[in-house]
Amino acid sequence: MAVNGALAFDGVAFSYGNVAALRDVSFEVAAGERVALLGRNGAGKSSVVRLVTGVLHPDEGTVWVGDWDTAGRAPEELAWRVGSVFQHADQQLFARTLREDVSFGPRALGFPAPEVRRRTDEALDALDLHAHAAQHPYDLSPALRKLAALAGALALEPTVLVLDEPTAGLDRAGRGRVADAVREHADRGAALLVVTHDLAFAAETLQRGIVLDRGRLACDEPLDRLLTSAERLKPLGLVPPPVAALSVALDLPGRPVRERDAADTLARVAGGRSRS
Amino acid sequence: MRILALEEVTFWYPATATPALESVSLEVGSGEVVALVGRGGAGASTLLLIAAGLAPRVTGGRLAGSVTRGARAGIVLPTPWTQLSGMAFTVWDEVAFGPANLGWPEHEITRHVDRALERLEITPLASRDPVTLSGGELQRVIVAGILAMDPDLVLLDEPTAELDPEGARAVWRLVRSLAGEGKAVILATSDVDALPGVADRIIWLDQGSVRALGEPSLLAEDAMCEAGLGTTVAGLWRAAGLGAPYPLTVVDAAQRWR
Repeated sequence: MAVNGALAFDGVAFSYGNVAALRDVSFEVAAGERVALLGRNGAGKSSVVRLVTGVLHPDEGTVWVGDWDTAGRAPEELAWRVGSVFQHADQQLFARTLREDVSFGPRALGFPAPEVRRRTDEALDALDLHAHAAQHPYDLSPALRKLAALAGALALEPTVLVLDEPTAGLDRAGRGRVADAVREHADRGAALLVVTHDLAFAAETLQRGIVLDRGRLACDEPLDRLLTSAERLKPLGLVPPPVAALSVALDLPGRPVRERDAADTLARVAGGRSRS
Repeated sequence: MRILALEEVTFWYPATATPALESVSLEVGSGEVVALVGRGGAGASTLLLIAAGLAPRVTGGRLAGSVTRGARAGIVLPTPWTQLSGMAFTVWDEVAFGPANLGWPEHEITRHVDRALERLEITPLASRDPVTLSGGELQRVIVAGILAMDPDLVLLDEPTAELDPEGARAVWRLVRSLAGEGKAVILATSDVDALPGVADRIIWLDQGSVRALGEPSLLAEDAMCEAGLGTTVAGLWRAAGLGAPYPLTVVDAAQRWR
């Protein structure tokens, strides 16, 4: 297969014993692209994350990270290209301070100290975590631990960033920090694949939606189109997020799904109405 | 019937000078759903731990003021995967772990476990090994395990964080049905858009103190929108420069728009 994308699944199947998790899944994510991976609980989304990171390997088909076939490659080798945050990010933290934890990746890859320091500082900056750098990860709230795990993934400066529910349990400010950090990272050319149930976050931050349904690829299209279609979302276990639902209910022109766009459109239409 | 009363409760975690919760008073009665809303670190999780009797007993630290609990409490933590017993090889046995430890007779355990699995719509998972479950499935198993112990006070910390939108809606319906049976529910959630149909009362916590409390319409007020804690629809209305009062939900907005 010719590999154009930073990440590609080609006919991938995977089972846990006799429980099939993924069947014949194919998609590509280009460098700089921001993709949401959606679907019900148990649809196979986290399995995709584990396959990208090399924690699991496909039973059939191939997972490509750039021009690397992940078959036969261990997670620590793939870490040169892949950064990830697991769903239960707590389980990813282990060092005595947050700074040590964030710097673990670049240190393990063997970068010299000044480079480790630069990457760690930039990652802490990106998530506004400097104030907590000297704290023990377990003295932080679950929300900050989540941001800490993401900082650790960013410090690898990966070409592929895969995140499993990065906003679960975060307040609006926390979600905003995650959104800014991952958008910036994608703008620098990384491919971004985000497993999320937070469709409001997806609408604000991501461009394209891939939906899994019982282990199969059910849909792959621009998010703004998908999120405004309640009839299509329903059989996939999804519900339009509030902004998309409002756009449809008020029949706003262009059906915006991002808050800023919807507020601008709302103001414009309301202004037009009051003049007429 | 009064289920829980906090009077002027202040709480400090071990080795901290600033209290996580300060002078909080609150009464919750049976059949009531109270939602705690605030930024991360505002004290919602701490309040739930106190209501559950876990703080300071398990967390350590110091509590001033008084806590009166007239009933048995069950809590679902924001990290539900840490609540697995680790001693069950099937989901059914996992959900039965709590009831079995309460020393109930066999048939009572069976009745409550089966009912809890049904209510969380996870009966088909009954024979699965908990370690093979997805994050969202696991969260529902933990909620079922708490409900199977039939607590009168149900405490839920971010109960939908791991759930798909359909699963989240099912949990919010379940919360209403628990209240309908006379249970008291206190929950903390960052999904404020779900609250208008779920909560009877909203408590806005800010840096450990109660900043405001009232009906869900509070979530459309200027100050809450300003703090990023209003509903999405209210926030949008405000951002568009349309006048207050802001609509709370999509349905309210659509009525207003006509």
